[in-house]
Amino acid sequence: MSALNRQRALLDFTVAALARRRIKNLALVAVFATVVFLLASAMFFASSLRREAEATLAGAPDLIVQNLSLGRQAMIDAADLPKIAAIRGVATAEGRLWGYYYDRISGANYTVMVPSAADLVPPPGEVIVGEAVPRVRDFKWQGTPLFLSRHEGDLVRFDIARTLGSDVALISADLVLMNEVDFRSFFNVPAGKFTDLAVTVRNPRELSTVVEKASAALPDARFVTREDIARTYQKLFDWREGVMVALAFVAMLAFAIFAAEKATGLSAEEAREIGILKAIGWDTRDVIAMKLWEGGLVSGGAFLLGTVIAYAHVFWAGAPLFASVLKGWAVIYPDFRLTPAIDALQLGTLLLLTTLPYAAATVVPVWRTAAADPDAVMR
Amino acid sequence: MSLRPATPVLSALAALLALAGVEGTHARLTAPREAARLADEAQLVRALGLTDLALFTEARYTRHPALADLATAFQDNPLSFEHFPSGSLIAPPEHFGPTALGFAPEDLR
Amino acid sequence: MISLHGVSKTYNEGRPNQVTALHGIDLAIAPGVTVFMGPSGSGKTTLLSLVGCMARPTTGRITLDGEVISSLPERFLTDLRRRRFGFVFQRFNLIRGLSVLENVMLPAAPLGEERAVVEARALARLESLGLAGKARMPVEVLSGGETQRAAIARAMVNDAPVLIADEPTANLDTALTHRFLDIVAALRAEGKTVILTSHDPRIIAAAPVTAVVEMQDGTVLEVRS
Repeated sequence: MSALNRQRALLDFTVAALARRRIKNLALVAVFATVVFLLASAMFFASSLRREAEATLAGAPDLIVQNLSLGRQAMIDAADLPKIAAIRGVATAEGRLWGYYYDRISGANYTVMVPSAADLVPPPGEVIVGEAVPRVRDFKWQGTPLFLSRHEGDLVRFDIARTLGSDVALISADLVLMNEVDFRSFFNVPAGKFTDLAVTVRNPRELSTVVEKASAALPDARFVTREDIARTYQKLFDWREGVMVALAFVAMLAFAIFAAEKATGLSAEEAREIGILKAIGWDTRDVIAMKLWEGGLVSGGAFLLGTVIAYAHVFWAGAPLFASVLKGWAVIYPDFRLTPAIDALQLGTLLLLTTLPYAAATVVPVWRTAAADPDAVMR
Repeated sequence: MSLRPATPVLSALAALLALAGVEGTHARLTAPREAARLADEAQLVRALGLTDLALFTEARYTRHPALADLATAFQDNPLSFEHFPSGSLIAPPEHFGPTALGFAPEDLR
Repeated sequence: MISLHGVSKTYNEGRPNQVTALHGIDLAIAPGVTVFMGPSGSGKTTLLSLVGCMARPTTGRITLDGEVISSLPERFLTDLRRRRFGFVFQRFNLIRGLSVLENVMLPAAPLGEERAVVEARALARLESLGLAGKARMPVEVLSGGETQRAAIARAMVNDAPVLIADEPTANLDTALTHRFLDIVAALRAEGKTVILTSHDPRIIAAAPVTAVVEMQDGTVLEVRS
């Protein structure tokens, strides 16, 4: 009880002392909290996206086989399909038909695709579209047909069989699904050509053997495994790269200068106050404890404020600050909801990175003053 | 007894902690619904054979970063650097075919 | 009862600005009101800070009620200081920006007492010094005499048996000096020991003073009781 009373009394003094420069200290907390908010938002957003990618792309094909020509991806021959299918360990191999359609009306890029699952193949003359397509085309009424134009004077009508919901927007927002006949005639793809091949294997551990054999069979092809896909998305918003991290780093640096200026420059006034406290009966430990409270209140409070707002920003408000960054110059940006995903390790790192240096910068300069004999104030 | 100076600060911290608790509860309560949604997405990915998130639709090669070839960004001119904002958010695929030339001395004869 | 045996104090030892402020002082301070007098530079303030456990002697020893205190480690010294001594500094040293009450309560903060108890004690002390009405005001608005009384209240908030004051009347006019002497008399009546430094003849001749220690160049010239 007495220890609690002591801490509370020290805390009371700390707050009363901080309140003397109320505006300055509140501004400090606000700046600090903003930095934490930016970093924590980026962290929440990135780990949520990564988790989403990890969970959903687990269903991606085991292996994608692309034909490379002149250093770029080109259509692959249907004749290559049996070569892959014949490899031991391959469960299924099928040609995929997909491509991009630039919509001159809205300026958006659609991904046009022939679905492999029979229940998602629309009847002739109809398409299944992703959540964003009716949105960017500004469809006013249910059943508005989708007119696609390949060049001046050309107009192809597709009725919309179905729209994929916004629950799956993150993977399907820009999709236009057609049946194979419509696809080949719309894009003028000859029979016997596919965009790439999707392969599934019986035993995932045999994948590298399958890739080895497949590259012997198709020496010019490029093979993308599901692991490669997963790796690509693990690096989304990686700590080591990217605009957000660079910005946050600059903010952190600016704040470090600010904090160092504020905390380490122990003014004569402050040194004198510490002398007074010692002289009227405070111990070195009391002074240090009081300074720890000061550092803890400012940095801990800022951390809490920053992360709480960051959570609300990312998971309740849908990360409006990042939407524009992610959207870039794209016309289609999926209307998606993020699943709360908090990386405890990263959050812990952020806590240590924000609170420890500040607390240290507050306490360390005080140490020597606090340990000196208090009779200095008498002179 | 007068209001102690630390009381408003402690109250503010307690309110923030309570909010953090609410957020934690929100994360917990929405977890089953979100898990179901992710399962739906995974199902659609499997049915369509999708490979990428539809996050970056600004350029064709950014739409499918996992499948994009490294040359695409420079297809018009080797000096035209990749210039879409999304390029700074995601790294190009690491794995682009064999990274070493595999040949033996007898192949050269 | 505080005794000093062969106490000397050297500042900045071993450096070019080395100064010896006290030379082999032997002194006994009895309960009552003791005044250290002498010109500035005579070592009064240094002696006061040694007696009040604010600093340790370079040589010699100091005993308090028979217990040697000059060689205690810092922690015990702090504890002793906060329970046995109350200090009023020449420049009062109130902490600016805090209220009078907050300043008076400061020495009690590390003791872990209930806030209500400390506050009641501080208010009683302020009341007895005629400052009850200014308890919630910031210390900057106090006049010189009020500032000194606030400093006395702060020094006495832990009910220390010894009050130590360095040049308490240096900044006070005659009326306020008399008021201060009244307070000293009241403290003496409470059974407190008061130790002052001064070169003010009004203080030295004042009624409550029981002993005068005359100092010069770091030595004791004469003790009058």
